[in-house]
Amino acid sequence: MRLRTPAPLVAVLALALLSACGSGGSSRTIIVATTTSIQDSGLLDVLLPAFETQTGIRAKAIAVGSGAAIAMAARGDADAVFVHDPKAEAQAVAAGDLVDGVLVMTNDFLIVGPPDDPAQVRAARDAADAFRRIAVAGVPFVSRGDNSGTHAKELTLWTAVGVDPSTLSGRLESGQGMGATLTIASERRAYTLTDRATYTVLRATLALEPLFQGDAELVNPYHAYVVNPERHRGVRADLARAFVRFLVSPEAQRAIAAFGLERYGEPLFVPADPRAREEPGR
Amino acid sequence: MRVEIADLEVVRAGRTVLALERLVIGSGRVTVVLGPNGAGKTTLLRAVAGLERCRGSVTFDGRPVRPRLAVAFQRPVFLRGTVRANLALALELAGISPADREARIAEAAGVLGITALLERPASRLSAGEAQRANLARALALRAPVTLLDEPLAGIDGPARRELLGALPAAFRAGGGTVIAVTHDPAEAALLADDLVVLLDGRVHAAGPAAEILSAPPDAETASFLGWDTIPGEGGVWAIAPGALRVGRGEVAFSLAVERATVVGGSPVVLGRIAGVPCLARLGEAPPPAPGETVSVSAPRSAVRWFPGSR
Amino acid sequence: MTLWDGVVDAFRLLGRGDPYLLDVVRRTVLVSGAATVLALVGGVPLGYLLARTRWPGRALILAAVHTGMGLPPVIVGLVFYLLLARSGPLGRLELLYTPQAMVAAQVAIAAPLVVSFAAAAFQSLPDELGDLLHVLGAGRMRRLWLLAREARLGLLAAVMAGFGAIVSEVGAALTVGGNLDGSTRVLTTAIVLEASRGEYARAIAFGTVLLLLVLGTNLILTAAQQRGR
Repeated sequence: MRLRTPAPLVAVLALALLSACGSGGSSRTIIVATTTSIQDSGLLDVLLPAFETQTGIRAKAIAVGSGAAIAMAARGDADAVFVHDPKAEAQAVAAGDLVDGVLVMTNDFLIVGPPDDPAQVRAARDAADAFRRIAVAGVPFVSRGDNSGTHAKELTLWTAVGVDPSTLSGRLESGQGMGATLTIASERRAYTLTDRATYTVLRATLALEPLFQGDAELVNPYHAYVVNPERHRGVRADLARAFVRFLVSPEAQRAIAAFGLERYGEPLFVPADPRAREEPGR
Repeated sequence: MRVEIADLEVVRAGRTVLALERLVIGSGRVTVVLGPNGAGKTTLLRAVAGLERCRGSVTFDGRPVRPRLAVAFQRPVFLRGTVRANLALALELAGISPADREARIAEAAGVLGITALLERPASRLSAGEAQRANLARALALRAPVTLLDEPLAGIDGPARRELLGALPAAFRAGGGTVIAVTHDPAEAALLADDLVVLLDGRVHAAGPAAEILSAPPDAETASFLGWDTIPGEGGVWAIAPGALRVGRGEVAFSLAVERATVVGGSPVVLGRIAGVPCLARLGEAPPPAPGETVSVSAPRSAVRWFPGSR
Repeated sequence: MTLWDGVVDAFRLLGRGDPYLLDVVRRTVLVSGAATVLALVGGVPLGYLLARTRWPGRALILAAVHTGMGLPPVIVGLVFYLLLARSGPLGRLELLYTPQAMVAAQVAIAAPLVVSFAAAAFQSLPDELGDLLHVLGAGRMRRLWLLAREARLGLLAAVMAGFGAIVSEVGAALTVGGNLDGSTRVLTTAIVLEASRGEYARAIAFGTVLLLLVLGTNLILTAAQQRGR
């Protein structure tokens, strides 16, 4: 009979496994609360390694909706945010949670829907008219319903039309990210509001067409902020500032301009720096 | 080693299953705790082993420190591995050096007749084999105190008869104190130096086996030991098993005959004394007819009178 | 068909040793493996105590364990998130979005399963076995180890249940780990990401690899179980 007690062995094994998982939060690490549209598009996979190479700072990007991202900042659980919900951003800035904001890039929202367009959204004069047509036709509409920037924009548009979205029988809330919401809309032959980047990435898998775009109302700006270190102790403001500065640096701006060109034939985001637009690439 | 039990009380689900004021188990002796099922024998054994939550004290040579114990539970249990490995583990836990283990295993296996089974996985023993391996493990330990619960359960035939003789001798040779539990008075008579009769959670008799068997101290003990107990005026007569014979003698009773038969090679008469079923040896007398009443008697030494009992 | 493409893709990626896939697989095994080992270290002795001894509070612990078995991983993840977030009581440790945080949350998910299976395994042994070892003078740890060897079939089932539950859960891994590439991305969170990016074939490929991983683990453990019979 083998009779060794295994406790030390097990402990050693567990420690070995744990240490093999890599080190924990080092001091050269920041947490960036950001949005699913940025992650799902794959832009972070390009920007974060470049940032780390340039500065030696590791940015942990946590992709949630813009609302959740700003909430993380308001609790001091993040060092920087990179989001697209101007209204909520303005509130957080006013409350003193976010500082040092910069415009990093824009893209635009599209109203997408089934190709046969039963609500005649193609003929809409502006974004509000498009939403009015959807409401009047009573066609299905899938909302994010997750306090994201896209969700906020959708609610703004309903308000502009004078419609209480909760009264719309065709409207349902997915409570999920942009990708999942687009898939649901496609499967249910519904309309939805989407950012261009996510739609472009997923277009091949969807039975949805862009039915309305180009209205100034549909511009989708992405801002980056530093979480206010005076309000939240423990925020690594210096590193977060470096991250925000990096996003508007010529290198990052050119990378944003080039992102998606090769794969989708069109850029997914428009960098804030006009010089980068003319000369995309890294 | 002398084991002393004082004011022991075990309560289970609100019921007192065992209550002993004082019980002394003599050093180096084989003490058999005898009682019917449910009398609290196993509970007593477990209390001595420290496995039972109880009030009171159990001391060993006057100290409350439990010495190394050997134990054979009624249900033989083994760990995975061969019989030899199981015996070796028990010896290892008792701190016996590897060199001594082999000798002890060989000796105990010899006494219990399981030498041929030593290399067999313990999980593949028959009930009787398992019980013998169980006893061999307890024997090999040569512990100062050994506890055996129904040591001969599941062993029958010639092996049982052989073990009834060999076991006490083997344990006595080790010099330790043995406490064994059984429900069988015959087995107890063959194994015991001292006897403790436990009825309904209480000690009814304790002392040298020969004394208790020949002169039970109360009617319940006598009855449990197989004595015929016959109600009389203001008390109970107890007659030793096999002491009644047809005909006149020192203490006489009248037996209502039911039938005559042969038990153990001798002719006997079955019938009732004061309504209690009894058996009397017939001797040379002619068998009486059923329905007849005959006079039966026993020697004074084989009859006890317990006044006040019923 | 996407489904079939995904399955084929899984073997293609495995065959050519795709570094991204192997990295994710390695981390999945390490994180869930470490969590399983830790859950066993604490869960087996607790299961033993629950099965073999009676003490005040035992019923409460048993009820808690059985409730814990039904707890959604995402709730466990949320609790750990709130504990480990900077604004939370353990924020100082800076463990959120690290593999260690994932291990901690997964231990909490696996532990009730391990405890429950371990308790059942020990309960199936005859009481006399533990009593015998106690009387023979085996110490606590020795007794636990010897009885664990006897209960090995049930304990291996505990390993399979625990590992299987956490290697395939996504709620806690996502909330507490953050799905960071090269640090906390495991198979399940990678699947979620690929699916939300519309890379369905890739998502299915990763799912196939996850299935193969669980299957392989169970084959190895079952083989060990049968050999030890």
